[in-house]
Parts: sequence; structure tokens; C-alpha cells
Amino acid sequence: RSHETPLGSSTPHASCLDLWRQRNDQLVRQAKVAQGLSLRRQQLAQDALEGFRELLHCLQGLPAAVPVLPLELTVICNFITLRASLAQGFTEDQAQGIQQGLERVLETQEQLEPRLECGLSALWDSVLHSSSLLPELLPALHHLALQALLFSGDDHLDLTFLSGASEDLLLLLKTWNLPAEESDAPLTIQDARGLRDVLLTASAYRQGLQELITGRLSRALSSLHEAASGLCPQPVLVQVYTALGTCLSKMGNPQRALLYLLSALKGGSTWGPALLEASRLYRQLGNTAAELESLELLVEALSITHGSEAPQLLIEVELLLPRPEPASPLYCGTQSQAKYLLASRCLQTGRAEDAAEHYLDLLALLLDGSEPKISPPPCPTGPCMPEVFLEAAAALIRAGRAQDALTVCEELLSRMSSLLPKMPQPWGNARKGTKESPHCPPWVSATHLLRGQAWVQLGAQKEAISEFSRCLELLFRATPTDKEQGPASNCEQGCTSDVALQQLRAAALISRGLGWVTSGQDTKALQDFLLSVQMCPGNQDASFHLLQTLRRLDRRDEAIAFWRRLEAQTKLPQENATWSLPLYLETCLSWIRPHDRETLLEEFQTSLLEPCDL
Amino acid sequence: MAGLAPQVDYLAGFCCPLGGLAAGKPRVLCLGAEIFLSTGSELVYVYDQEAGLLTAVYRFPGQVWHLELLALRRALYVLCAHRGIYCLSLDQAIRSVSQDDGDDGDSEDSQDGESPSRVIPVDPDACVLHDATLCTFTVLDNLLITLAQGPARWKVQLFECPCPGEDPRLKGQIGEVELSTPPAGSPREPAAPYFLPVLCCMSPPGSRVAHSHLHGSRGFTLEETLFGLLFGTDASLLESPVILCGLPDGQLCCVVLQTLVTSGLAPGDSKALVKILHHLEEPIVFIGALRTEPLAEDVEDSHSDCLVALGHHGRTLAVKASWDEAGNLVPELREYCLPGPVLCAACGGGGRMYHSTPSDLCVVDLARGGTPWDPMQPDRGPGGLPSLLCPASLSVCSVVTLSVSSRAPEGGTELLALSAKGRLMTCRLDLNSETPSPTRVTAANTGRKIKELLSGIGTVSERVSFLKKAVDQRNKALTCLNEAMNVSCALLSSREGPRPISCTTTTTWSRLQLQDMLTATCLLENSSDFSLDRGWALCIQVLTSSQALELDSASSAVTYTIPVDRLGPGSRREVTLPLGPGEDGMLDLPVTVSCALFYSLREVVGGALTPSDCSKDPSLDMCPLDVLPEQEGICLPLSEHTVDMLQCLRFPSLATPHMQAPSLLSPVSDPVDTFLGACLGPGSKLAGPASLRATYLPPSVAAIKVSAELLRATVGDSYSGVSLCCATLQWLLAENAAVDIVRARALSSVQGVAPDGTDVHLIIREVAVTDLCPAGPLQAVEIQVESSSLANMCQAHHAIIGRMQRMVVEQAARGSSPPDLRMQYLHQIQANHEMLLREVQTLRDRLCTEDEGHSCATAEKLLQLYRQLRSPSLLLL
Repeated sequence: RSHETPLGSSTPHASCLDLWRQRNDQLVRQAKVAQGLSLRRQQLAQDALEGFRELLHCLQGLPAAVPVLPLELTVICNFITLRASLAQGFTEDQAQGIQQGLERVLETQEQLEPRLECGLSALWDSVLHSSSLLPELLPALHHLALQALLFSGDDHLDLTFLSGASEDLLLLLKTWNLPAEESDAPLTIQDARGLRDVLLTASAYRQGLQELITGRLSRALSSLHEAASGLCPQPVLVQVYTALGTCLSKMGNPQRALLYLLSALKGGSTWGPALLEASRLYRQLGNTAAELESLELLVEALSITHGSEAPQLLIEVELLLPRPEPASPLYCGTQSQAKYLLASRCLQTGRAEDAAEHYLDLLALLLDGSEPKISPPPCPTGPCMPEVFLEAAAALIRAGRAQDALTVCEELLSRMSSLLPKMPQPWGNARKGTKESPHCPPWVSATHLLRGQAWVQLGAQKEAISEFSRCLELLFRATPTDKEQGPASNCEQGCTSDVALQQLRAAALISRGLGWVTSGQDTKALQDFLLSVQMCPGNQDASFHLLQTLRRLDRRDEAIAFWRRLEAQTKLPQENATWSLPLYLETCLSWIRPHDRETLLEEFQTSLLEPCDL
Repeated sequence: MAGLAPQVDYLAGFCCPLGGLAAGKPRVLCLGAEIFLSTGSELVYVYDQEAGLLTAVYRFPGQVWHLELLALRRALYVLCAHRGIYCLSLDQAIRSVSQDDGDDGDSEDSQDGESPSRVIPVDPDACVLHDATLCTFTVLDNLLITLAQGPARWKVQLFECPCPGEDPRLKGQIGEVELSTPPAGSPREPAAPYFLPVLCCMSPPGSRVAHSHLHGSRGFTLEETLFGLLFGTDASLLESPVILCGLPDGQLCCVVLQTLVTSGLAPGDSKALVKILHHLEEPIVFIGALRTEPLAEDVEDSHSDCLVALGHHGRTLAVKASWDEAGNLVPELREYCLPGPVLCAACGGGGRMYHSTPSDLCVVDLARGGTPWDPMQPDRGPGGLPSLLCPASLSVCSVVTLSVSSRAPEGGTELLALSAKGRLMTCRLDLNSETPSPTRVTAANTGRKIKELLSGIGTVSERVSFLKKAVDQRNKALTCLNEAMNVSCALLSSREGPRPISCTTTTTWSRLQLQDMLTATCLLENSSDFSLDRGWALCIQVLTSSQALELDSASSAVTYTIPVDRLGPGSRREVTLPLGPGEDGMLDLPVTVSCALFYSLREVVGGALTPSDCSKDPSLDMCPLDVLPEQEGICLPLSEHTVDMLQCLRFPSLATPHMQAPSLLSPVSDPVDTFLGACLGPGSKLAGPASLRATYLPPSVAAIKVSAELLRATVGDSYSGVSLCCATLQWLLAENAAVDIVRARALSSVQGVAPDGTDVHLIIREVAVTDLCPAGPLQAVEIQVESSSLANMCQAHHAIIGRMQRMVVEQAARGSSPPDLRMQYLHQIQANHEMLLREVQTLRDRLCTEDEGHSCATAEKLLQLYRQLRSPSLLLL
């Protein structure tokens, strides 16, 4: 008490400043206690935020004064830190808070008027120039400048004057020489040095990711290394390692990539992106077993929902990272998307039993209502739902479970029955008699095709042929002129691509033809094969079947003529590879393909041509 | 219509703010006999319909914007503005109230709404979701769907509700997508929005959610066909519910719920997930679904086959599925216009939709008039929507929230409604419209009948008072308009002669706050037979000469608007306003003061066009006023007055001794300067630049010569008895306050002080002009202006010239003939002047293009030229 200042006039001012300072320090301690997820603590943090806001109002209610400014700027920093970490994001009003702080600094320098129209960078420029006269402001100002960088992304704010001429944000951050904070400075929730390190890591990682996406791989590699070597929390480190793996595999270093992916997997609890990347890598290497195994693990990893961890009340690296978009290498999708990927890869690689199981799992995941949890469909990145059903049916047929395939087809048709066009139209037909038939989605025809195939497998030729006929009937209906009608989902447009439709027709015709062949009706079979050759001249399967039937019917001349044409065609380069057909159709086409084309051709040569030469 | 007369029962009254409840935020829900109600304040009431009493009142920390019931879990979710969502367990709620019941016995007193002892503050721990930006939400089975106002866009978020018995806090977000449109208004100010967005869940029939959510307040089950058509194949294959969002900008968009679930916190791609169904172009206030087709006999539960969305102004969208001629499924989409503004709406059974406007509660029938579909009538396929909707009135006004009660009587509908006056009522509609036979009247029957009649009277009286108020307002507006019309006619028809309403402006110097101010006094005098009433305002525009030179003078002029509050015939009103000098001490002369009368249509007619109290619906403030013309009023110019240097001159040297002291102060002198000046004592002048200039530079001089004859004719008889010079000076200073002294002392030269404090010397003497007239020397009067400040000299010169111009014009009108002149000399002068003017023009042009350094020299040259222009002093004959 004795040292209470003799200068009576300054006592209230000093004590007021002290009070404010104590309030700030108390709020900082409160915010630090409030770290955690419980509601009470969240409330505590919220209260601290309100406290900072009030304190700021108090401080800014008075004219700006140099002795108070360090505290005021510190309170702004604390407010922004807490606000951003509570809201998990940055908003416009925080940026305005910074600007207001700067204007207050200029107010003391009486330089405010001409600066108002200039941009934020100019404002910073003049503030830092004028604050060189006020060294006590520098620590808080640098802290604020770091926070300003958070809002600007990296393009708006030009702070190059802080560190010399460097344009590069990374270099700027690295060389940023923070003024030493005094020991008696007011408390901060997060100190400037920590914030700089966070910013450095985050921007290195972001830059690396961006370069990885745009394809500048070597630069991406160095940026990512930079991020990994910095102060990096574990979950972020996992992401960085995954990105490094992706980058290296793109650069053609699969072994090193695998090493990074492995360390990513060891590192943390988010395995998804790393597993997906590993499966891509194994696929690239041709190691199907490992690929499928990683996909299986991926499905499992995605089924674990780990609760979000308690966010720290600091600005952390995670807060500054962009959310993964589908284009990002770190996007691993959802569980059902992974499951679909696994199932379709199994089907493509010929593991029909596994594929069938995975498809059934996927359908259960999507449609089973007993579980309270709902799971999103593979859309929009994957195929649409009808295609998933069709692929499931194809996989089941391939796995020899024709009866199950029929059930899946049945399910699909029943679920969609209300959306199908009405065939009998009491009011339409009565009036106009014959008229164009309603448009039917192509996947309905495809369902009938697969049902037919299932019947074939079950040995019921009659049912099979009637299904194929139904399929053809739907396919040869008039195609719709207006594709805009109704809210057609994007997959329906995909299916209606001309090539796919053509191949679907050919497949149906060949299938029916084969059915006729099996039941001994070769002439009917011939008709279908001929039609399919006309329909789809590029499809050589139809030609082979036609040739065989002709030979069986002993129509030698036609056979020879046709064989010559076919031979000429086989010499041309094959175009089939460029088509991208739906997976179920591809699978279906593989069943009706004649097995050994080369030997067949040779056989023809001997059996057809030799007698001719005689 | 007789069959639609509802039977209205008042249940309870609740506190409501002055002016009634605003639509949009109050909610009423019912679960069994319990009614949950919020009026838009912080309170949520629970009312027991069977016991007829209020069982609980909860106080939330902010305004309650939305309520939802999760019947299966016995939970009430409450959205508290700028806070988040709170969850109350209903069982717990009842328990806490029954404990309460022991303490206070005033449970019957439900009319009071809230007796303070019953209000239970809600525990902050009940908050399950903290989010200040939430605007609305809905619950669906175990999911909570929220719509928040993001910084840039609307954001739909999906949360999983905890099972009963678990921690009531939400488990965390499981999906999120941003809608494509930004919310209106600035994101910086997420203040209470005028219109909240609307959410609605639509489930396909197969969905497990549909089964467990049969009597949800906001959820509907749509027929497969319509569902598939609207939301696509995938949604119907997955049997996933769909969230419909109706936004305040009129957009109606949908999100398939199952696609919304994303891993982690990655937001979904809004382009792929959000589909815009329609744009209503006005705020959407309601989304619902209806069953319009008659049910087949064997179908147990009915699914809705028609989606409806209502806009605030009554635009209504209805969508049904139908088949086109080729048999393809197509959506049939129709827009109707219902009377607006719509406060709230609800969907009832039998294809009926109820919607409330401030003046009525209406019902529309979307079913096809009740006639069963006839397969033999090919023109109307199944699912035809009526081409026109005819709203039928239910004669209940100002219902701010509606809900269809689950306790519907047989064959009818019961609506729960909250009126703007805070009254909770049930409206029972017997849609079979069979009037029960009044034969057997039992005692109980009579009692009920009387009660019905009483409630009927109550409804009617509320409606009557509302309508009466509207009529009164309109009458008043018409009267005002009529009077305004009379005034305008009187003013506009009397172009000649004295106007019935006039405004005269005079200027005086007065001292305001240590500074001398030139003030203008406008005197508005009403000598007409009409009174200027509410809505009239006197507009005074002050335009300084420098502002007049700028192109957008209108914007830089200062306009004062003073409401004229009842100015009866014969009365007058005086308005005084400061003209300057401004802070810089400069007064840009001349200043033009124009007065006009303005009649605001908005003020008078606006009230009558908005039905009832505006507070009920903020948007009404603007919408109906769109019919008013652009300028929003009538403007009648009254007068224009120019204040020039001659009016502003002060003559301290002439002042009587006792008045002298204060006016000696420089008009704009800094008090400090004054003080210093006083300290230094007389004689020691401050060496300011102005005084330096005054001391060392010769004063600027300009002179004008006017023929004595002309002046005499103008001055006329009024100045008889004094010399022509004195008369001329008096004439020049006629509008100056000092004219009396000038007249009294018969001065012919005078030393004045300009507004900025420099001297201005006016000297008038008689001269003879010799070389102009062949008939000999011509008698003339020379008016000489002298001032140390060039600007002041110019302004005074300009003022004198202005007077001369007016004089010459007047004299020319009288037709006096000029004397014989020596034309050659005049020509010479004119040629001289023209050449100088050309030079001035080129110099001024150059001044515009030159840089600073040169322009100084140019300006100097220009000033010289101006001096030359003035020097062979102007001669007026």
C-alpha cells in the first residue's frame, strides 16, 4: 500500500488497467480449464467468450491510448482464438475485429483518415510502420497479424513487408521473427509462437495437397515433407503420410509409397484414406489379393465410428485444413462406397462367390431397416441403385446362385413397380388405338435379361426365352424423344448411352438365340443371331454364333460368305476395349461369348473350306 | 357454406405482446390430450385439454422458434433462438409439475397464462445442441435434421438422437450439406429473420420411418408414385425419407436423407445431393401433403398423393403424379393463388388444406370436388388437380398457428389454433355438413349449445373489431387524402396573385454557441380555407453557390424536412435554420433557400393499406406499399429565396453604442483567438494572413455605373427627400437589417463586415459620363465596392449586379426608352469585353488540364483578366 503512487491523478487509470488485465487473465484461465467436451465445460467456454466480448467493449468504449493498447490487442487475439475454436471456423466478424484493432492503433497515431479506403494490406503496412515507434505494441500486433493470415487464406493479405521480400507464404512463416514477449504481458490462450507453428504446418500441408492434385509432384513432395517435419499432431501426420504415399505412387515409387502408407496405418485411428490408397497401389502393381484385402480392411475401418475427440480451445492444424472433397486423395468415401468398390472389384477379377457375398452385404447395408443406423448409397460418385441391384444379380448368377439372383431381380422390380409406365391404358388405348408405347428405363430390360440368364442356369429354357423376349420387347419400344421428362437420375442417362443400349440388345438377342439352340430350334436361333449381327455389327460374338448355326444347318455357302467377312473383320484392330459398359452388362456379355474363338476359326477353315476346294 | 361453420371453443388465453402475436414463430402441437404451445416468447406452455388447465410453463433462455414432439420417445424438442435445441422429456415434465401442484392451488386460473410460481426455468443442461445459427429443425424417428444459416449458405445438418436413457446430448453430426442459395440479409447480422425457413419430411410408404412416425406433426408419407417422381429412382429404391426445405426466398429443394449421411465431417456435394423442385418466388411458409384421391376400400392407411407448398402471399404449389398420353409417369404441377398474406397453414384429411390470413381462416379442397373418378371420362386422367381453388371461409380471423388435432371427431376435423390475441381454441368442423336435427334438447345439450353460442359470439366479436379497425383506418386515410387534394388544388390553381399558402424567408445574424450564425427564418402562412394536417411537411432546401456548380447539386444540397402538424386556416408557423458559416468559417454566397410543401402518401395511406396492425407481419410494411407511386408523395413548391452578400453584410460601425460590443467579434473567430486577442489588448493585432493581406495589399475594387434616370425610376417616390446616392444605398440594402440606420443617417457610403470578418466598403456617388451620349454628359451613379478580400468583393459585386439585372428587366417591361447614345463607344466596350471573355474561357479550359505548378500561374492570370473585365466599370443606362 505504501508504494501507491503519489501521483493522484493516474491512480484510477492504472488500477482500471490492472482490473481489465486481471479480468483478461482470469478469462484465459477459465478458457483453459474449459477444454473438453462436456456440456458444462462448453458452457464455461461460451461464458469466457462472452466475457472477452464484454471486456473488449469496455476497452474500445474509451478513446484509444497507447498504454492500454497492448492489453486491448491481446484481448482481441484471445477473443478470436476462442471464437474460432468454439465455432470451428472463421467468420467475417472476426476479421472485422482485427481491422478495428488496427484502426484503434492508427487512431493513437492520428493517421486514420487517409487509410480508410485502402485495403487491409495497406492498413497493416501503416500500422506496422507506425508501431515501430511503439515497441510495446509489437508482440500483440504480430500475434494479430498471424491471426489475420488465418482469415485471408493465402491470397488476400500481403504481409511480405514483415519478412522482407519473400512472396512465399511458407518462407514468410519460417522466417517470421516474432518479437519476444515480455514476462509481464497479459496472458494469452494460445501464444504467437504456437500459432505460427500451426500455421506453418497447415499451409505446408495445404500447399502440398494442392500441388498433388494439380500434378506438380516433386514440389508436392517437398511441401509434404516440410509439413511432416513440422509440429504435427498425430491425426494430421497420418494424413500427411497418406498424401506422401499417394504422391510417391504417382511418381512411380511404389515401394516407398507403401512404406509411407504403412506408417500412416500405424500412426493413427483414421485408416480409411491410407487403405484406399494402398488398394489402388496394389491394383497398379497387379497384386489382386492384397488389393482386395486392403479393401476389406477399408470397409471394416469405415464401419467404426469413433466419436469426435474433445476439441482443444486453440487454433489447431485441423481447423485450418480443408475438408476432403471427392477430388482429394484423402477422400475415402463412406462404408457403402467402399463395400461397393470391393464387391465390384471381386466381380471384375472373377471372384464371383466373394462378389456375391459382398453385394448381398451391401444391399443389406443399404436397405435393411432393422438397424437404426442408416448408410448412404454409393451415389453420387458410384453407380445408381438399380445398377447395384443388377450387378448383385449378375454376381449371384456367376456364383451359381441363380435362385438368389431371381430374388434380387424380383426385389428390384417390386420396389420400382409404382414407377414403371402403365402398360394397359384404359383411357389412352380406347381413344387412339395404336400409339407409341411408354418409355421404359433400360435397366428394367436389363433385369429381364438377367432373369433369363438365371433361368438358363436353372435349366428352365422356356422361362428363360420368355424373359429374353420380354427384355427385347421393352428394348425395341420407341425410345423417348424427351429425355428431360421427370427427374431421371443421372444413372439412367448413363445406361441409355447408345453403345450400351446396342450391346444390351445384342446380348438379349444372342441369349435368346442360344436358348433356341439349346431347345433345338435352330432356325429361330438363326433369326436372332442374324438380327443381332445387324443390330450390332461390331459384336463378333453374334457372328461366331451365327456361323456355328449356319454350319449346323448345313448352309455352307452362306457360312463361307459370312466367314470371309468375319475373318476380314478380325484382322481389323479391336475396338471393344474402348467401350465402357455397365459392369452387369459386361459380365453378361462374357457368359455368351464363344469360348475358344481361334480354334473355332481354324475348325471352320478346315470343315468349310476343304470340301470346297475338292 | 353453412356446413362449414365451425364450432369454436376457447380453451385458454395466453400473454401476448401489444399488437398481437406475430405469425411465423408461435407453434401449437398436441399429443393426446396435451397441448404444447409457444407464442414466440421465451415460454413454452403445456395445457391439458381434458382437465382444461395449464399444467406447466417452461422458461427458455431465449425466444422459442420451433417445437417438435417425438411421441415415441416422449420427448419435446425446442429450438431457442440464438442458443440451440433443448430436449425435455415429457414424463419428467409431468412429474416436475405434479410436484409443483402441491404448492400452488391456482391451477384453475389458466386465463392468466402464467403465474410466476409455476414457471419452470429450463436447465441449461437440457440443451442438446449448441448452435446460434439454427433457424429451424425437424425430427424423424431417431434423427434430428436442422437448417442453419451458415456464413454464406443455408446448411442442412443431420444428427442422431440418443435412445431414451442415454445421455440426451446429440451423438454428433452424421451428415451435412449446404444449399445452393445464400440466406437473405447480411451474414454479419443474424438477427431475427423475418421469415424462418420450413422443413418437412416426406417418407415413402415402405420406409420403416413411415411406420413409426404415423402421427408426426411435420412428417408425411407420400405415395410411391409421387415419391419416385419427385425424388428419383434411388430415393424410392432405398426407401429413404426426403427432407424438403422451403426457404424464405421461395426455393423449394429436397435432400434425400440417406445420401446425406457422410463419413466424418466432410460436407456432401450440394450439386449432387440437393435438388431444387420449384421456385415459388415468395417466402415459403408451409409445406405439406394431402390425400386427394378417394381411398380404395381395402387400403387401410392412406398415403398422401399430393404435395403442397404455400408462399407467404398466397401462391400455392400442388404436385401430383399422373400419366401422360403415352403412359409415362409425369408430375402434374399446378400453381394457384390463394388470398394472402398467409400466416400459417395445415393439411387436413379429405384433401382439405386450411390456411389463415389476418382476416380469415379458409379451407380449400384439393380433391376433385368429391366426385369419384370415372374411368369412362378419358379427359381426366387419375390425379387431376382442380383448375381453380375456391377458399371457403371459416370466419375465424388472425390465427397465427394451426395444427390438426389427433383427436378428430368422427367424420370431421378438429383444428387447434392460436389467435393473434393469444387465445388457444379448437375449431371443430363437421365436414359431412349435416346439420343435426335440433329436436331432442336435453339439459346437457342445451348447456353445450349455449357454450357454443358464446364461443361463436367471441369469434365474431374479435372479427368485427378487426374489420372495424380496418374500415376506420381506411376512412381516415380517405379524409386525409381529400384534404390534401383540396390544398393541392388551391395552391396549383392560383398562379397569379397572392398564394393561399405562402412561405417567406428572411435572414438575420444571431449568436449561437459562441459563434455568429446567419439564420434564415421561413414563415409558413396558411391563408387558405383548408388546414394542413398530418402527412404534410415543409421541406426547405438550402443550396450554396458552390454546390450549385456541381453537377449533382440535388444530392449535395441540404434539405430540412419539418412536419407541419395541423396548421389551421389563418395560422402561421415559423422555422429558423442556420445557413452558416460552416466549420471552416466560410459562407458560400449566394445561398438559395427553396421551400416546398410535401405530402407523404406513405404516412397517410400506408396504414390503411396494411390490414390490421403491422406488427403482426413485418413484410406487410413494404409489400402493399408497392402500389404507391415511386415518389411516395406530392411536392408543391412554395417559394425560392436567394441570400446574397448584401443581405449578409453587418455594419458594426453603424451600430448604436450599446449594441456594438458583441458584433465586433469576428463571426467565426476561434474562442482561443478571441481570448488571446483580448489579452494582448487593443492595438496589437494578430498577424494572421488575412490581416496581413488587409494591411499590406491594396483592396480589390469594382464599380458599376448606372444611369441616374434608370435608378430614379426604380427607387421611385419612396426615397423622396434624400439624395439619389442615399436612396440607391437604401435600395441596395433593403433586405438588410441595417437599412433603417442607413436611412436614418442618410448615408451614401458604408463600411460593412462580410461573414468571414473582412471589410467591405460600399461607396455611391454621382458622376457624369461624358463620352457616351452625343447630347452631352449623362447623369449616372457609380456604385463602388471595395474589399481587402477578393472573394468578398466578387460576392458583393455579384449581388449588386443581380439587383441591377432585376431592375433592368422590370424597367424594360415598363417600356422606358434609353437616351440617345454613342453607339460606337458601346460597341467598343462590348468588343473589349468579348475578347476578354474569350481569353477567360481559354484560361479556364487550361486550368482544368494543367498540373499544379502551372495552374497557379494560370489562376493568377485569370484573376487579372477578371479585374480587367470589371475595370471599365459596367455601365447601365
